Amino acid sequence: MEFGETLKSSFRTLWSHKLRSALTMLGIVIGTGALVAVMSLVAGLNAAVAAQFQSVGTDIVSVSKYPWVQMGDTEEYRNRADITEEDAEAVELLDSVGLVAPNIHTRRNVTHEGSNVRGTLITGTTPEYETIDNFSVREGRFITEFDVERRRSAAVLGTDVARELFEFTDPLEKKVRIGGHSFTVVGLLEEKGDILGSSLDDLVIVPFSTFEKLFGHRRSVVIDCQPAPGMPMDRTVEDIRQIMRIRRKVPRGEPDDFAVNTQDDLASFYRQITGALYMAMLGIVALSLLVGGIGVMNVMLVSVAERTREIGVRKAIGARRFDITSQFLVESIFLTCLGGIIGILGGSGIGLLVRRLTPLPAAVTPVAVALAVAFALVTGLLFGVYPASRAGRLNPIEALRYE
Amino acid sequence: MLIKLHEISKIYTVGAEEVPAVRSISLSVPEREYLAIMGPSGSGKSTLMNIIGCLDTPSSGSYVLKEREVSRLDDDELAEIRSSEIGFVFQTFNLLPRMTTFQNVELPLIYGHAPRAERADRVWQVLDAVGLRERANHRPNELSGGQRQRVAIARALINGPSIILADEPTGNLDSNTGEEIMQVFGKLNRAGNTIILVTHEQYIAEHAKRIVKLRDGMVASDSAS
Repeated sequence: MEFGETLKSSFRTLWSHKLRSALTMLGIVIGTGALVAVMSLVAGLNAAVAAQFQSVGTDIVSVSKYPWVQMGDTEEYRNRADITEEDAEAVELLDSVGLVAPNIHTRRNVTHEGSNVRGTLITGTTPEYETIDNFSVREGRFITEFDVERRRSAAVLGTDVARELFEFTDPLEKKVRIGGHSFTVVGLLEEKGDILGSSLDDLVIVPFSTFEKLFGHRRSVVIDCQPAPGMPMDRTVEDIRQIMRIRRKVPRGEPDDFAVNTQDDLASFYRQITGALYMAMLGIVALSLLVGGIGVMNVMLVSVAERTREIGVRKAIGARRFDITSQFLVESIFLTCLGGIIGILGGSGIGLLVRRLTPLPAAVTPVAVALAVAFALVTGLLFGVYPASRAGRLNPIEALRYE
Repeated sequence: MLIKLHEISKIYTVGAEEVPAVRSISLSVPEREYLAIMGPSGSGKSTLMNIIGCLDTPSSGSYVLKEREVSRLDDDELAEIRSSEIGFVFQTFNLLPRMTTFQNVELPLIYGHAPRAERADRVWQVLDAVGLRERANHRPNELSGGQRQRVAIARALINGPSIILADEPTGNLDSNTGEEIMQVFGKLNRAGNTIILVTHEQYIAEHAKRIVKLRDGMVASDSAS
C-alpha cells in the first residue's frame, strides 16, 4: 500500500474517534510541551547569565567578605572581620596580580534641582575599576587618579540616573547632590542593560577617597583585580588567598574567612542550577512520555481488537502483513506526532509568555523543537509496534469470523 | 484446468483431539465454471472454501491454481495470490464502514499496487458493471442490502481475479434481492468469470451449472445442475 493511502486511512480512523484520539494525545502534549517550555526557559537563563558574565568582566578576581554565591550555613559570615584598604594595598604588591581597584558601596538618594532618584548604588573606587569591571564611558571621562588624590567631588553617572535627573539637558559639568553632598558630573557610562529584572545602570561612581570622607570608612572593602599579564587565574587566586589568610591571621587548617570570587564560581553555580533543572525536566518528560506511550499502546490495542473484522476483510482482499502493520503503526505515530506538534505550540506559548511577562529572555530553540518531535516520533513508534504487529499477524479466517 | 485439488485434507487440533474438517477431497474446476458447493453445517464447506480462497492451507494434499502449487505458501505469498487471483463476496458484505463505495471498491487495487492513474478508470468500469455508478460517494450505511452486496461484488471483480468466491451471498438478503444478486453472478459467469458459490440453499445452488455436495468432509455427490 502506498504511504499516502496509509496516511489518509489513518487520519480517517483517528478522526472518527475524535475524543479518544484527543485524550490519548494528552500525555504526549504534556510531555513535549514541558520539554519545549523548560528548554526555552533554560535558553533564557543562559542568555541572562551570559549577559551577566559579560557585564562583570571575564577575567575579574573579586575579594570580598562574602562569596558571590552563598549556600549552606551563612551564620558564620556575620562574624567575619571587614576587608580593609590596607588589604587591597597588600594584594596589589603580589607579582601575580595586575590591576587592582578597591571599591566600597552604599545606597543614597541622588538629586538635581527638582528631580531625584532614590536609593541609587553609590560606588567609591579608583580609575582601574573601569577596566577591571568592564565599564565604558559614553561621554566625558571616568574617575581619575587626580580625583582620588584630591578627594574631588566628581561623579560618573549610570544611564538610568542620568536619564531620570536630566531629561532635557546635558548632565556634564552639572551639579548633583548625593546623600546631601554636592558632586560635579564628569562622565556618563555606556548602558549595560538589565539582569533578571534589575538594572545595571542605576549607579553613580565616585572617587574612593571622597566616598570615605563623605559617607564614612567603616565598611568592608571589595578588592577587584585582574591577574598580571600572562599569569594563570588559579595562581593569582591562590596567591591572594595566602596573603589574605596571613593578614587576617587564619589558623592553619581553618577555612578562609573571606571569599576570592571568579567567574568560575558563578559558572559552576549556574551549572548546578541548570543541571538540576535539566534533570527535573528529563524526569517530567520521560515520565509523561512513558504514561502517554502506555496510553497510546492501550488505545491501539483496543483499536486492533475493535477492527479485527476489518483486518480480516483487508487481508482477504489482498493486504499483506506489512500493509496491516504499517497502517496501525502510522496511526500511532500520527497520533503522537500530532500530540507533539500541539505540545510544541503550547510549550512555545509558555516560553513566549514568560518572555513577555518576566525579565527572563526565554527563547524557543530549534533544538528543543527537534527534540520534542523526535520524542513524539519515538514514543509513537515504540508503543505502536506491539499492537501493530499483533494486527499484522492476525489470522484472516479467525478475524473474519470475529463479531 | 483452473483449479486442481488432489486429496486435500484439513485437520484441526482441538485440545488433545484431532478433528478432520476436510478428508481427502479431490476436485477439478475448469475455467468459466459456475460451481456451487453445498452441504449442511459441519460438512467442511467453509474449510474447503477457505483453502480454495487461499485464506488457509491444507494439512496435506496438493492444490494447484493456474498451474502453480499454492498449498505450501506462507502468509504474504497467499496474500499476493488472493490479491491477484481471488475475489471474495461474503454473506455479511464486509464493506469498510468509513469508506465510500468508490473507496471500498478501489482498496484491492491499492493493495495490488495498481498505478493511481489506472485505478479510477477501473473502479468506474466495475461500478458500471454492477450498476452503482450513482452510488459511488455513498457510505455502506446509506445503501440497501442489495446495493451493498453489489458493491462487494464490484470489489471482488476489481483486480480481474481468476475465481470469484461467494460465501452465502444471499444469506442476508430477502428473496427478491437475493434473486437479483444471483442474476448478477449469472451475468458475470456468461461474461467469462469463474464463480464458486458456497450455500446450503438448494434453490440458490441451482443457479450454478454444477453442484458439489459435501458430507462429513468428503464429496458426497458432484453433478451438473
